[in-house]
Amino acid sequence: MSPLDRIANVSILKQHEVDKLYKVESRPALSSSDQFCFLVRPRIRTMRYIADIVNADKMSGRSRKYKIIFSPQKFYACEMVLEEEGVFGDVTCDEWSFYLLPLDEDIISMELPEFFRDYFLEGDHRWINSVARALQLLNSLYGPFGKVYGIGRCAKMSYELWRDLEEESEGDSQGRKPEIGNIFLMDRDTDYVTALCSQVVYEGLVDDTFRIKCGSVDFGPDVTSSDKSIKVLLNAQDKVFSQIRNEHFSSVFGFLSQKSRNLQAQYDRRRGMDIKQMKNFVSQELKGLKQEHRLLSLHIGACESIMKKKTKQDFQEMIKAEHSLLEGFDIRESTSFIEEHIDRQVSPTESLRLMCLLSITENGLIPKDYRSLKTQYLQSYGPEHLLTFHNLKRMGLLTEQSAGETLTAVESKVSKLVTDRAAGKITDAFNSLARKSNFRALSKKLGLIPRVDGEYDLKMPRDMAYVFSGAYVPLSCKIIEQVLERRGWLGLEEVVRLLNGNEFSVSDSAAEDNPAWESQRVVLAVFLGGCTFSEMAALRFLGKERGCKFIFLTTAITNSARMMEAAIEAKA
Amino acid sequence: MYAGAGPVVPGSDAAMKGAGTQQTLPALRGILQFQMSLDCPLRYKRLTIEVLLDRLVLRRLYPLAIRICEYLRLSEIQGVSRILAHWACYKVQQKDKSDEEVAHAINQKLGDTPGISYSEIAARAYDCGRTELAIKLLEYEPRSGEQVPLLLKMKRSKLALSKAIESGDTDLVYTVVLHLKNELNRGTFFMTLQNQPVALSLYRQFCKHQERETLKDLYNQDDNHQELGNFHVHSSYSEKPSSTIWVFAARGFPPSPCSGRVGALQNAVDEYYKAKNEFAAKATEDQIKLLRLQRHLQEDFDKPYLDLSLHDTVSNLILDGHHKRAEQLYRDFKIPDKRYWWLKISALANRGDWEEMEKFSKSKKSPIGYLPFVEISVKHHNRYEAKKYAPRVTPEQRVKAFVLVGCAADAAIEHKNETEMNFVLSKCTASTDTAVVEKLNRARAQLLKK
Repeated sequence: MSPLDRIANVSILKQHEVDKLYKVESRPALSSSDQFCFLVRPRIRTMRYIADIVNADKMSGRSRKYKIIFSPQKFYACEMVLEEEGVFGDVTCDEWSFYLLPLDEDIISMELPEFFRDYFLEGDHRWINSVARALQLLNSLYGPFGKVYGIGRCAKMSYELWRDLEEESEGDSQGRKPEIGNIFLMDRDTDYVTALCSQVVYEGLVDDTFRIKCGSVDFGPDVTSSDKSIKVLLNAQDKVFSQIRNEHFSSVFGFLSQKSRNLQAQYDRRRGMDIKQMKNFVSQELKGLKQEHRLLSLHIGACESIMKKKTKQDFQEMIKAEHSLLEGFDIRESTSFIEEHIDRQVSPTESLRLMCLLSITENGLIPKDYRSLKTQYLQSYGPEHLLTFHNLKRMGLLTEQSAGETLTAVESKVSKLVTDRAAGKITDAFNSLARKSNFRALSKKLGLIPRVDGEYDLKMPRDMAYVFSGAYVPLSCKIIEQVLERRGWLGLEEVVRLLNGNEFSVSDSAAEDNPAWESQRVVLAVFLGGCTFSEMAALRFLGKERGCKFIFLTTAITNSARMMEAAIEAKA
Repeated sequence: MYAGAGPVVPGSDAAMKGAGTQQTLPALRGILQFQMSLDCPLRYKRLTIEVLLDRLVLRRLYPLAIRICEYLRLSEIQGVSRILAHWACYKVQQKDKSDEEVAHAINQKLGDTPGISYSEIAARAYDCGRTELAIKLLEYEPRSGEQVPLLLKMKRSKLALSKAIESGDTDLVYTVVLHLKNELNRGTFFMTLQNQPVALSLYRQFCKHQERETLKDLYNQDDNHQELGNFHVHSSYSEKPSSTIWVFAARGFPPSPCSGRVGALQNAVDEYYKAKNEFAAKATEDQIKLLRLQRHLQEDFDKPYLDLSLHDTVSNLILDGHHKRAEQLYRDFKIPDKRYWWLKISALANRGDWEEMEKFSKSKKSPIGYLPFVEISVKHHNRYEAKKYAPRVTPEQRVKAFVLVGCAADAAIEHKNETEMNFVLSKCTASTDTAVVEKLNRARAQLLKK
């Protein structure tokens, strides 16, 4: 499902005289319509695709009208490319400043999955403008935001740009009752670890297994137990889903079975009914029951499918290795596990993910392992992944512990390229070279690994660690928790240092003067580079505990597979 | 400063208070007085305030115009700012004052009044040929992005680039960079970019998609051998030799030695060595070796081998029964034992060649143990074979093996081991294994009695 489907689906478009929809970047569109309209993101690749179509038409003597709608904005480079390809005069261009897509009652997505690769790999700041505008839009609808917290270079830049936009716009936010009191901006690279972990809350598992797109998932025949696949919208409207989405997977099956039994009992009630009651039952309740039945069987089917896949891939072993990496013991065993995983060709993205997890938690691989694991991977999956490793190194996801190269040497290399004024705007690619991971230190300082006596109760969890089976409290969520508690970064200086700085905390004095009590409880958590369902589940839990409500704004939904795919250099 | 004819408004500030007509009348008294000295009579009633102000401005009666704005309480943008902007534009034309003085005077008067665009004033200065003044005025423009178009016009490209980067507007930076590309010669262009990492990075992005050859030049300029290596590796994948190979073969020509790809990879190797990246260099050398070998294999066996990973190449060889060739690759590419064994038994199982697998298992001590043999046999639904390997599994893993094979219960009972029995019990499903469960429970009870 694409964002367009969530706004105007095919039937609505057809009502407005759209003949057919094609996807850009698959085969060229062959159609007899004499008007083409391209709704695209501003990418050079896409411009070439369009230019090819226009030029092909020109060569075959067809004349058509072409309109390009850029979302959220047009980039100059695109115009240049259209000019170079000789089609600039043949097309008309428009902009559709579409920034926010509400996916659920507490999730807003900017549907910019490319943000992660563009910013964290290429050091391209193009989307910061979009983020700032999105914030501006939200501010105008629900603000003014009382307190702003943030950490990360991108967060800082987005915040500053947003403030500039606010100043220039002369909008009047006076007199409006604010609905969102706090906002927290965080860069994805503040916490890569959480994004790399396997997810075990239901929504996260569904995403990992089936890939949720724009809040909707495709369940195939193995789930529906028929020969059809169906698209299901997963949000709070689905009564069954909303009750299990944040639960740990171990509780879900039991819950669903119980619900099935209740449902059956409800159906069975009709045995003892008279005509009048039956009529009532059929008209009022049956539809609801049927709906619930349908949803239940879908989710039970999904669970079964998930369990089947997990047993095939030695899920338990992998979780054990992951937990060892998070906790920091049995590292050699975990490394051997990863090596075997690569050798047995279980899954290319999973192997890569485990390698990155090892690297980040251990602050880089020891040179022997770095060479060996990379060699094994290349042998298994092909030598083009040399480029993949280069990408991962640039992003700081898979690095080597360098004995010879101390931090200061790297710093001086970086500083040679920096001029005074441009210092603030230097690309992050260079930043990640100088950046250390410090996961273990952070873990100790923030108590991310819970010490448990006995079994960790997953049915009645007592902290956010339940989203990872009690083994690990997500770092990103912990940071948010601490900062909100302290209303700032006071007392977290050491943590900030370990996170490589760039923290900020700003209060809007005007808004502070009239603390509308309701809005103080609402926190907008902004993830720049992607947010996982596990983090959302954890923060929803935190919200319940602390009596506040979290709304999530993310550049895109993400998980470990998507992150790895962003780094992988596929063959042309 | 007054530069035209006309009397000064009498100092009636004190009287000029209040709103509405009470305001306008005294103000206009001044104008009416002034009117009388004009050549052509002005009819107040037919004039709007804007037109009146415009006429005053044309006659350069700026202070008067400003006072009128203030008394009429026009918003800054509508009133005072406009006047000041006009005044400033006029001021820049004054050739008698130095650039420094003019710029200073203007800034003094204008300050940070909203609605004034210093860039517009600067543009006017430039149009009058006072470039330096224009630059000084531009300095007052708070929004860096606004400074850029004029700077480009004035051919201060490097400054334009810095300002664009400062503004944080990526699109603007792109505009300037591409403008520079057309304006400067290549060498100067690259040099300018070198000093601006943000711009360089953006331009690289552009080149990656649109002009790959330029990318090579950029990296060469930079002596960035690592990236050059990557560049060549990337190029080698953009070429598609496989089809070429078959075309040549079909036409009876000897297949070209995929020189395009191998050439690119060789270049990569050279660059990687220069970059002191031994790992990448060796890996790429291996890749060249593999490609050449795959080409031969394709010729010999008439099956596709090019572009497969090493693992898949060996796997396919075994699948087709070419065990000697597979062994050759195992030695040549130094495939680790563990991997080779995993690979081989998977492929053999896929092929259904249980005889060969058994022979292999006996060839030497298995580096991966024998549990994998059991697992893979079971995966292919061959319990009979699995049973052969189960006894050879190490003691700790034996129960697991037997569980897989289905005679775990017996093993556990034989060992009189409660943990093992519990383990097996946990794997039993109530429906299918009732007999087994019973057997185990009885045995366990017996154990506990002791």
